[in-house]
Amino acid sequence: MTEASLNVDAITAGYRGRPVLRDVSLSVPEGKVVGIVGPNGHGKTTLLRCISGMLPLSSGQIVFRDRILKGLAIEKIAELGVIHIPQGDLIFPDMSVRDNLLMGAYMPAAYANVEQHLNAVHDLFPVLLERRDQIASTLSGGERRMLGIGRGLMCGGRLLMIDEPSLGLAPIVIEQIYAVLNELKREGRTILLVEENAARMLDLVDDIYLLDHGELVWNGTPAEFEERQEVLETYLGADL
Amino acid sequence: MNGAGFIRMTPIRRDIAIGLFFLAIAIAIPFIDSSRSTMTQVILLFIWASIVTQWNLVFGVAGIFSLAQMAVFTMGGYTAAMLSLYMGWSLWLTSFLGAFMAVLVSGIIGAATIRLRGAYVALLTIGFAVVMQVLILTDSDCFFYRGVTCYNFTGGSSGLSQFGDFGFRDWLGYKQSLVGKYYLALFLLVLGTIFALVIMRGPFGYAFRALRDNANCASSQGINRVKYQILVFALSGFFTGLSGAFYAGHYKTIGPTMLDLSVLLLLLSMMVVGGLGRAWGPLLGCIILMFIDDQLKVYAEWRTVGTGAITILFIIVFRQGVAGLIEQLWERLLALRGARTAGASATNDKATG
Amino acid sequence: MEAFLQILFSGLTLGAMYALSAVGLTLLWGVVGMLNMSQGVMLAIGGYASYSAITYLGLPWPLGLPAAIIGGFITGLVFYHVMVRWMYRAPAFEVNIIIATVGAAIVLESLMIRVFTGYPLDQPFSLPGGFRIGGIQLPFQTLINLSVAGIMTLGLGWLLRSTRLGRAIRATAQRRDAAQLLGVPVARVYLQVMIMAGIIAAISGVMLTASVANLSPYAGTNPMLKAFFICAIAGLGNIPAAVGASLILAFIEGSIQYSVSARFGFPTMLGLAIVVLIWRPYGLFGQRTVERS
Repeated sequence: MTEASLNVDAITAGYRGRPVLRDVSLSVPEGKVVGIVGPNGHGKTTLLRCISGMLPLSSGQIVFRDRILKGLAIEKIAELGVIHIPQGDLIFPDMSVRDNLLMGAYMPAAYANVEQHLNAVHDLFPVLLERRDQIASTLSGGERRMLGIGRGLMCGGRLLMIDEPSLGLAPIVIEQIYAVLNELKREGRTILLVEENAARMLDLVDDIYLLDHGELVWNGTPAEFEERQEVLETYLGADL
Repeated sequence: MNGAGFIRMTPIRRDIAIGLFFLAIAIAIPFIDSSRSTMTQVILLFIWASIVTQWNLVFGVAGIFSLAQMAVFTMGGYTAAMLSLYMGWSLWLTSFLGAFMAVLVSGIIGAATIRLRGAYVALLTIGFAVVMQVLILTDSDCFFYRGVTCYNFTGGSSGLSQFGDFGFRDWLGYKQSLVGKYYLALFLLVLGTIFALVIMRGPFGYAFRALRDNANCASSQGINRVKYQILVFALSGFFTGLSGAFYAGHYKTIGPTMLDLSVLLLLLSMMVVGGLGRAWGPLLGCIILMFIDDQLKVYAEWRTVGTGAITILFIIVFRQGVAGLIEQLWERLLALRGARTAGASATNDKATG
Repeated sequence: MEAFLQILFSGLTLGAMYALSAVGLTLLWGVVGMLNMSQGVMLAIGGYASYSAITYLGLPWPLGLPAAIIGGFITGLVFYHVMVRWMYRAPAFEVNIIIATVGAAIVLESLMIRVFTGYPLDQPFSLPGGFRIGGIQLPFQTLINLSVAGIMTLGLGWLLRSTRLGRAIRATAQRRDAAQLLGVPVARVYLQVMIMAGIIAAISGVMLTASVANLSPYAGTNPMLKAFFICAIAGLGNIPAAVGASLILAFIEGSIQYSVSARFGFPTMLGLAIVVLIWRPYGLFGQRTVERS
């Protein structure tokens, strides 16, 4: 058993007193890739927002490498190495691609090795090197997603949380992005991946959680998931 | 009527109850104390309250941050004063013409700001007020002569005067004339308040709130923003302009100082302290601010500092204003009572069960 | 020829003044999303800080400028800790901060009247005289003001474009959430920008009061109002556009003053602003992305 990087312990959270997450517990072991799957609007993004400190917890505890995250500011949690790559394209639209990436290395520890990080990201996404002086808002949807992920990688964090990396992209681009995620896995990165459908991630992840109506309803390995896929799909009333 | 009954009333009935309460006090005041100082103070309160009530419609209810309210007011006052002065018409007639002029100007401002949001509305509307003030202040061409003295069209920096008044002195005599003006001011305020309440509680109010809270969603439901924005500006302009005309007739003078930023701030703090967008906020805010101002009279030079500081305090800490605080208190009271009766019935059930 | 020079020089003088007033205003809007109605008094504070240091403390006149910078620093600090800090996360910030800064403007103006009286004073930090070209005088102070406006714009542009702090400021302005997730302490960025705006306003205030206007608590009001129009036309948040628009509008105003009457300078600007905003609701070069709901 590897040591746990992130431990989420029985958290409840929501907006304006209405709970979106109820009693959610999960753990991400060091060096592993964990996937969270579930229909849209059932709390996946909310869970990531809780971990990165954007949404306060009503109850429960989140521990990252022996540090309790509750009450820490968003930027402090980022400094500990929890990197949240948010859903959609929260890139800086009026900045160049290069400046977007440099912003990823804002934190002092990352800034000290900025050239090294930049080269690593350019190796993974050569298109970002080609377009380095282009204004980010003029990129295509796939390029933006690559920029978002690349910017997150610039942080040099210890845990990557990626929210729906395949959302709204053409199949060929999704393949490119998953190739990069596989590469990151080979490097031994710890990743928490959120997707609506499990199909894409089955070859990538070590562990899958199912999130339904704000609660974790199932947990197992990809192999176990495939065995029980039909039962689970009937239960959730959705394609997984 | 007991407290719980009052709490559970529909908003419209509650408005009527609150309105009658204030009205009764206002009607009674001259019978209790008709001294000159009290009358002038309360008349001024009525004027401010009339303006703020209409501003509250534009800003608080429709959510359009216009800073041109005093420009509309001044437009009403100047139009009435100038028509009476140059045409010799009665101020009663010109007041209405002034109000219509205010409707026109207010509608134009509403139309000019249609596509703008937040800060840009503020920029343009304050610009409008400033330009109006500058044009009046720099007006130095002779328009007519009284004796050898030259007078400007707008009266310039000293403003306009000697355009007559509402004639209360001839009807009621010197002593009672102030009381007459008092009731006229009260009448205007009551009309303006009824109008505002009808707008807020009626289908118009729903449309305005929908536009304020989510313009895109509202327009997809067929609420026409252009129509409503021009309408809210124009309608609120009518009573604002009328107040301006009354102001001119009451003080027998009107000048560009009404466009000063300090006047705007005073009214803004009345609205903020009372409660933005709340039906009774403007009236409460005016009463509170006038009271505080009166208390600070001894420290004359600190009055504006106090007004500014109170505004900042309320906008940061109590954005719902005094009216909002009272409402919250009310709801808590209601919840408390509800809990108690529920608790009582529960124990009853136990006893019978 | 003489008329042309007249318009050119008065346009330059006014343009430099407007540019000085507009830079701080548009910086605050661009980053914090804050229309600062206290810009006028912040200009006056700079003027008085310089005046006090030279007149009351007896410092040599060049030290007026550092004194103003200290004054502006303190003003920015106070504005952040008293107002911005408590407000920027709350809904309707855009409107609330306008109301709050109107309140602050009145408070500070009254305090300045208390301390310095309302009577106009002479700004001791100034350079009298000027060049004479074709019988028309071009004051030295106008050239200084133009240079200061230019240096501040270029300096600010360099800072925003090429430094780590500047990138963080731009990132915060464009996507606050995303910046925070990358470890940017947004509260500190806002504080830094508020202080920068305070200092810029204070320096501008010294230059303004040294040039056309006398030093009084109201000295900054007119420049602020003109800067409003300029920013509305140029689009809030774009610094080079604000400076360009300042010069262009100043020449238009100068020509109108010369050919028609000084009265119509303001109304012309309003008219232009209305026309531009009807055509483009976010100004000619405005940043729509800054708007927050």
